[in-house]
Amino acid sequence: MTDNLGFALEGAWKVLFAGLVLGAGLPLLFALGIRSLAWGAGGEAEVHESGVTGPKSQPIGTVVGWVLFAIVLLGIVLGITFIVASGFGKALSFEHIYPTIVDKH
Amino acid sequence: MTQASVVLALVVVTALAFDFTNGFHDTANAMATTIATKALKPKTAVALSGILNLVGAFLSVQVALTVTNAVVKIQNSNGTPKESLVSDGGSALLLIILAGLVGGIVWNLLTWLLGLPSSSSHALFGGLIGATIAGLGWAGVNWNGDGSKLDGVVGKVLLPAVLSPVIAGVVALVGTWIIHRITAGLAARHTDQGFKWGQIGSASLVSLAHGTNDAQKTMGVITLALIASGDWTDTKNIPFWVKVACALAIALGTYLGGWRIIRTLGKGLVDIAPAQGMAAQSSSAAVILASSHLGFALSTTHVATGSVLGSGLGRPGAQVRWRVAGRMITAWLITLPAAGLVGAAMWGVGHLVGGLAGALVVFAVLVAASLAVWFRSRRTPIGSHNVNDDWEPVAPPAAPADEPARVPVTAAHGGV
Repeated sequence: MTDNLGFALEGAWKVLFAGLVLGAGLPLLFALGIRSLAWGAGGEAEVHESGVTGPKSQPIGTVVGWVLFAIVLLGIVLGITFIVASGFGKALSFEHIYPTIVDKH
Repeated sequence: MTQASVVLALVVVTALAFDFTNGFHDTANAMATTIATKALKPKTAVALSGILNLVGAFLSVQVALTVTNAVVKIQNSNGTPKESLVSDGGSALLLIILAGLVGGIVWNLLTWLLGLPSSSSHALFGGLIGATIAGLGWAGVNWNGDGSKLDGVVGKVLLPAVLSPVIAGVVALVGTWIIHRITAGLAARHTDQGFKWGQIGSASLVSLAHGTNDAQKTMGVITLALIASGDWTDTKNIPFWVKVACALAIALGTYLGGWRIIRTLGKGLVDIAPAQGMAAQSSSAAVILASSHLGFALSTTHVATGSVLGSGLGRPGAQVRWRVAGRMITAWLITLPAAGLVGAAMWGVGHLVGGLAGALVVFAVLVAASLAVWFRSRRTPIGSHNVNDDWEPVAPPAAPADEPARVPVTAAHGGV
């Protein structure tokens, strides 16, 4: 019982950490991407006083926005890779920082 | 056809039936928020989720046969059944599996009727634990593992059940809060399109992961039954037809869409805005994948529910219906013992009658219970047409009598 509690709490911290990085971190980047796109589009995308035209469009915002989306997409690809790998009895290893596929032990 | 092969056939059919209930019970985990925020039309959402479950199930190339080892001691560590249980053509083991599966299905159907998202793996484990206690006594249950890793009923079922909704809730809360801070001041029609795609992406990940994780359990159970009856010997592989049958069963179940549960999770718990939906689904996907990477067994249902609650707490001004949440948590608490009681009772009945007749009686009870639940559910039908109706009845100004279909929907969550 106490052994299990120890293992569970240990696992829980890791899951919480990874969950925050991926589950809240990627949405953070995604939201920043949306913000950048809106900044890039200007005009009606942002809430502004009625009667005046919205802020000018900023092309750099559009670029930054899509770069951020690309990073989020990489995160999703990583997730799919993990699911597929685990189906084949493999696991992802992060020991080289960048993920590699290894045999599940 | 010998008696033993008829019993085996009953076990296989019952296992596939469980897989099917597992599908529709868990559609909500991936798609409830996507449907509630109208990112996808209800039918489109369940179709997408069904297809991804099918793909996910076929991705399970290496299936662990030791799925029951987490909670009961009916298998050796290499996946073969305990010799003492297969001495008489496997009938002792088959009865435990059959009774356990019936326990899981009956509980899944009852909670579906009540629209409560409860864990299908808890129902399966509960049924197996109950049948094992009835058949082999308390010592047949792996309560705590051997202390070398997270294992047993406590380590694989109870502790993760307490921890996982909290973890998912915290992640979703943080995510929701951040998204709202960042996108504050943007025109909603500009942001919602983005959140829509974010939701579809993260919900798809959850569906795919669900297919690989949950279909495997049934594949393992069916193969165990085949080994017990002597129809299969390879412990490294599973028969291809088992994989196809399980993949189809879970995908069809998902496509059927457990609308009652989708409604509770998408509309009942929290009124979800697109940004919250995206935060909740991202949290679910990340927590499910991370925990499965770290070998921390948890239930998709508990994670999804925790995420939705967290997204409700994270948005300023959003309201969480704690009464609904309380009912859900109660259902979680009793899932394991309730499914266990049914499993134990079924084992008792099957054992008392004995042999093929016993298995047939157990199967007949399952069919009768399923039909009863189905007919009861027709009184308050919930489907893709009304899944997104307002949770609280909007003070019906003397509901017109020519619209009887509306009334049961609002009554459905009163306490049926």
